[in-house]
Amino acid sequence: MVGTPVLFVAIPLLAAFLIPLLGMIWKELVRIVPGLVLMYLMVLSINLLNHVLVSGPIVEVIAGWAPPFGINLVFSAFSGFLVTLMIFLGLVVWLYSYRFKRNVGFEPAKKYFLLLMMLITGAVGIVLTGDIFNMFVFIEITGISGYGLTAFYTGRDSAEASFKYLMLGSIASTLLLLAIMILYSQLGTLNMAEIASKIHTVNPTYKVISLILFISALGIEAEIFPLNGWAPDAYAEAPGPVGAAFAGIVVKASVYAIIRYIFTIFDISGAYSFLIIIGMMTLIIAETAAIRQDKLKRMLAYSSIGQMGLVLVAFGFGTEEGVFAALFLMLNHAIIKSLLFLSGSYLVYNSKDKKIVEVNGMHKFLPITSFLFALGAFAIVGLPPFAGFWSKLSVLTAAADSHMLFVLALVLIVSVIELVYYLRVVNRIYFFKKGENVDPKKPTFNALLAMIVLGALILVIGFYPDVITGVIHKASADLMDKTKYINDVLSIKQ
Amino acid sequence: METYSIIFAIFLGGAVLTYFAGKLNSILQDILFLGSVLVPTYLFFSGVSFGSAMPFSLEGISLLWGIDHYSWLFALIVLGLGSLAAVYAIGYMKGKERKGYFYFNFILSVMSMLGIVVSQDLISFFIFWEIMTWSSYLMVIYNGKDIQRVGIKYFVFSAIGAYAMLMGIVIVHSITHTFFIEDMIQAYGHMSLQLQIWIPILFLIAFAVKAAMMPLHVWAPGAYSNAPMAYTSLFSGALSKMGVYGMVLILVTLVSRLPQGIWFREVLAWLGGITAAVGTLWAIKQDDAKKLLAYSSVAQLGYIITGVAIGTELGMLAGLFLAVMHALFKGTLFMAVGAIEKQTGTTNFTEITGLIRKMPWTFLASLMSIIALAGIPPLGGFVGKWMLYESLITSDHYLLVILIFFASTAGFLYCYKFLFGFFLGQEEKEWEHVKEAPATMVVPMILMSVFMFVLGTFPGIILKPINNGLMDLGFVDSYKHLWETSVIFNNWGDHVILQPILYSIIAIFLFFLILVVWKGYKGTRYVTTKDISTSGEVPKEDENLTFSVGFTQPFLRAVAPVMRRQIDKYYTEFAKGLEGLFEFMRRIYTGNAQTYALYVVVFVVIVLLFKDVLF
Repeated sequence: MVGTPVLFVAIPLLAAFLIPLLGMIWKELVRIVPGLVLMYLMVLSINLLNHVLVSGPIVEVIAGWAPPFGINLVFSAFSGFLVTLMIFLGLVVWLYSYRFKRNVGFEPAKKYFLLLMMLITGAVGIVLTGDIFNMFVFIEITGISGYGLTAFYTGRDSAEASFKYLMLGSIASTLLLLAIMILYSQLGTLNMAEIASKIHTVNPTYKVISLILFISALGIEAEIFPLNGWAPDAYAEAPGPVGAAFAGIVVKASVYAIIRYIFTIFDISGAYSFLIIIGMMTLIIAETAAIRQDKLKRMLAYSSIGQMGLVLVAFGFGTEEGVFAALFLMLNHAIIKSLLFLSGSYLVYNSKDKKIVEVNGMHKFLPITSFLFALGAFAIVGLPPFAGFWSKLSVLTAAADSHMLFVLALVLIVSVIELVYYLRVVNRIYFFKKGENVDPKKPTFNALLAMIVLGALILVIGFYPDVITGVIHKASADLMDKTKYINDVLSIKQ
Repeated sequence: METYSIIFAIFLGGAVLTYFAGKLNSILQDILFLGSVLVPTYLFFSGVSFGSAMPFSLEGISLLWGIDHYSWLFALIVLGLGSLAAVYAIGYMKGKERKGYFYFNFILSVMSMLGIVVSQDLISFFIFWEIMTWSSYLMVIYNGKDIQRVGIKYFVFSAIGAYAMLMGIVIVHSITHTFFIEDMIQAYGHMSLQLQIWIPILFLIAFAVKAAMMPLHVWAPGAYSNAPMAYTSLFSGALSKMGVYGMVLILVTLVSRLPQGIWFREVLAWLGGITAAVGTLWAIKQDDAKKLLAYSSVAQLGYIITGVAIGTELGMLAGLFLAVMHALFKGTLFMAVGAIEKQTGTTNFTEITGLIRKMPWTFLASLMSIIALAGIPPLGGFVGKWMLYESLITSDHYLLVILIFFASTAGFLYCYKFLFGFFLGQEEKEWEHVKEAPATMVVPMILMSVFMFVLGTFPGIILKPINNGLMDLGFVDSYKHLWETSVIFNNWGDHVILQPILYSIIAIFLFFLILVVWKGYKGTRYVTTKDISTSGEVPKEDENLTFSVGFTQPFLRAVAPVMRRQIDKYYTEFAKGLEGLFEFMRRIYTGNAQTYALYVVVFVVIVLLFKDVLF
């Protein structure tokens, strides 16, 4: 063992506080330190994940108070998988924006990296924590850094987007707090495992209301329709890498929270079909809205929302197969959508409106970026032999095995819509004439490297999915085994 | 089986290498391209044996690659036409831009088609199917012409088909828990009747799209004519046959075991017949050779579908024989159009005339393929069509035979238009500079013409593999007693009963051929200006006086009522309606923070109200 789960929260938080101080010593440190921190965490998470896959979850007790009284962190196959994914994406985003933000000046860069570290701290904390109030705190941390990052370009539009995010985010906090209160008043404990073991004693009405409030609150962060009004604006106005971070890190954490509540904490079976309903609604509305967008990032945002809807649908099947499909989809979505956001923001780099028409003919000026965008587009709509195909296949297989043929047909119909709007953009990049006053910007070396890493991953997973499916299988088995989670946590004696 | 891995590794590696080799040297790129098509072809026909399969697993799914005699037949079409088209493409692509892009997609298309026929499981079948779709899509948009409409339409129809198939695949998997085609066939008998009906429908939608069957054909004319001609010969010749491949597989192995299967067959056969008739009418209307051939492809696929849908032994033989023939003659015709396009820069009948003496070899190849297409003896098309008619008559489809016969006869009009428009007629100054296409383009065309001729006289060469393939699908061996089923064979394919007559026709044909060529060269009368009788009217300067203008107008006027209803228009209307709906959906996101907050409140309230229903 080279480290403990608490480092995932402690180190980035510490780094976030140190960044302004280090900036006084040497300005470049502001950019370097987050990278070093994330690299260390990446190594740590891979080590821990390997350890966990072999010898079972690590439960870390904070401050010597054993569960159920103290706060505990759980690094299991499921949460470890998500943490590794988030840290990896954080690293990619850092690599991408290392020089991206150079021309922005020292002050904004300092804030940017500080907020990014906070964002990762919060998101990782949500996934690791074993305490619902602690989770609330981490959600707040994530939210606040998210508001800040959305308003990074201090313009009118980004301020407005940030305000919308903030407004809905506060509603989410209120609802969440209310939900926690109800549970606490009924059970007198905040520890997830403890709640899970006692949940059957709670009056069903309280239980259901509490769950509804949880889902509504977390659904705002997880971009569930109709709670996701903030998302398109925030994605469109925030810098490209932040969009990638939202799609890859923040939303994943929120979906994790929803899933944890439904699968582990509560024992309400109707919640699964509810997941399917809201997931399908999100998927259909978002994808149909995406096809009529004229701004690139906004289109990507809607597509991202739609994909998360599909993730929820896959979770909603409630089978291990469904969970596997959902996790696989989350992984692919994190990789591919990040690639699309990262390459897409270079395609419309110097444009004011970020319109889709402005990507016309970009392949002559940005050949690699355009290629990677096209690769991402092909992968996300699930064309073989790219990564997205395997996750889509597993979702569909899971749907058929759960005998949800209607859902299956709808998902496929929506896929056709998705195909149309992505191909339209790719056609524009490659076959249209460049507009007169469009001024392409060459990506920096770091940015290119970050995108190529993601592109390579798409191909690797596409041609040989077995590299990752073993881990996902273990992660999904881990999530399905509720009793083991309770036992693992509650058996800890300090 | 190592051979499969090597073949597909060469295809994939070759595609990538060829793409990047263009940055170094153009000739190296051509050589690499040829190598990555021809080497796997050689390896396939020398190294792959029947009955030996390659099992492996990916993402926990067991996959299986192998061939039987039936898939070998289609591998022959794919690789044979693929190799010849590859040679042709070297000449065709010389000096064109995006060469690497073209070669890359060409190789991937050939690879994916081979992959489809060697797949013994549904997942690799689907993967290759999709690779085929996107690589051909990338070819359709190669010219950048009208891509948002034609290209997207092609992809959307293909995707609808593919997703229907995918739905079928996962449903089958939920019952059998494996993806092997063999297991699907085994389990089919035990499924509920509802599934027994739906699964073939889902699969047939996918195959009907690729085979451009009515009413799913609307993508085809645009896609065929927009792709570069060197690819279209493969596109129409081999890629559309993948639809036929799958269709036969589903019809024979699944539908034939269903008592209600007769309805599938009748509907398909009629749709095929209608496709043939409507496709032919539209082909006659075209003034552009690419469009004409595109519609003609749709029509020809209609004959093939009718043949295989009839499902009798003779019908199957006719359909598959026509499939091989169609690959040959339509491949050649698209190549010829490509050659004309390369040499003259246009493919419009109303502009080009009198190329016979400038491009004699192209003319010869076109003539042969037109004869084969029209089903005139002694070329192979005749044998195929004869068998088709006979199978229709012997299975009591009298109305259908009239329809097919109408389509076939009307087909002469566009055949004639093609030959006459391009090659015959007055020569014009404008085209004096035109030279014959380079040898790399001419040789494949001539080779294919020779095949057509050989198959017309010795159809047994290809009927034997077809028979073997049908036996693998479960038909009885008809070798040595096919004469019992068809009157044109006195014995199994060794020769045709009409041979004395045939050879006299050949003799006459050759005589006239020599006469025409000789006369053409000797040149009895040169007409260089347009000496068209204008009945006293003085034509205006800008009036196009080429004789091909308004060709076949009386006929078109007669059939105009039939052609007024265009299914394409309905699809367009439907798509427009959908876009309107999507626009409405988009407006749900008003951009107003208060509205969004209201949404949240409404959501929470509604869910709380209905919590007893939902949870």
